[in-house]
Amino acid sequence: MTETCNQALELELKRLIIDALELEDITPADIDPSAPLFGEGLGLDSIDALELGLALQKQYGIKLDSEADETRRHFESLAALQALVEARRVN
Amino acid sequence: MPLSLFIEDWRGWLAEKAAATVKPSRLISAQPGGELPAMLRRRLDDAGRATCDILRELDPKADAPLVHASRHGDTTHTLAMLESLQRGEPISPTRFSMSVHNAILGVHSIARSHHRPLQALGACGDEFDALIYESHGYLMAGYPSVVAVFSESSLPAAYQGVTEHPGTACVVGMRFTLNQGRAITVSKPGQGTSPTPINVLNWLNGETAFLDGRQRWHLEQE
Repeated sequence: MTETCNQALELELKRLIIDALELEDITPADIDPSAPLFGEGLGLDSIDALELGLALQKQYGIKLDSEADETRRHFESLAALQALVEARRVN
Repeated sequence: MPLSLFIEDWRGWLAEKAAATVKPSRLISAQPGGELPAMLRRRLDDAGRATCDILRELDPKADAPLVHASRHGDTTHTLAMLESLQRGEPISPTRFSMSVHNAILGVHSIARSHHRPLQALGACGDEFDALIYESHGYLMAGYPSVVAVFSESSLPAAYQGVTEHPGTACVVGMRFTLNQGRAITVSKPGQGTSPTPINVLNWLNGETAFLDGRQRWHLEQE
């Protein structure tokens, strides 16, 4: 059951990233949960980081400090992002 | 002093539905942006993508100054930001970063590693005349050629009928020189009309004898 929930959230986050960042050539299957989201891997940039922060706030009510080191860790990979959402979502 | 200016080459782009009825020669693909890296392409609308494609074709070595004019810019996304503010919602950081008038040239310069001068213009309807004079200035400063692009994106319904617009997304690009190609001449002051990219395309295609902006512009026939 937990496994199913995890997979559902993983897919939901992949779709959130694709929609919020307008990744028109990327499908959920293209996003490796353990690969870096920024720079290497998916290749997102600093504007994407701000956009993703806004999407997390809108979707899950999670507010992040853009200057904090821990924010950098939360954005390292899809798996890290999923752990953040599971721990801090308010809706 | 008469203006000495020549058009060496040109390209056009029209949104698919307009391309079916208007057929200038030298149109690029109706589905633009294929040459742009996907991570840059996603930030531009079709007119922005076509602008980059045309800049690439007319300045293949990325060594000419580039001038881009648009009367209205990307009004769809600007309006979406205003609507977000009206609802008291935060605006998209991506859209805010792309809301400057030189955003398309910025994307192009990253995609092509272009390091020559870039200039973006909005001229309240005098875009064509402004492009001519700015391009001529770069040529007089010693550059052998200049590429100028004039684009309009599609207009959101909220603005339709409230401002002048060609009615469809359209882009025209020209490579200017001081001595190569077809000569541009001025006969008299124009009627003060505001040429759109479609008007310019028709003029380049030889369908109109002159183009009226601030000046009446003539083009030597091929």
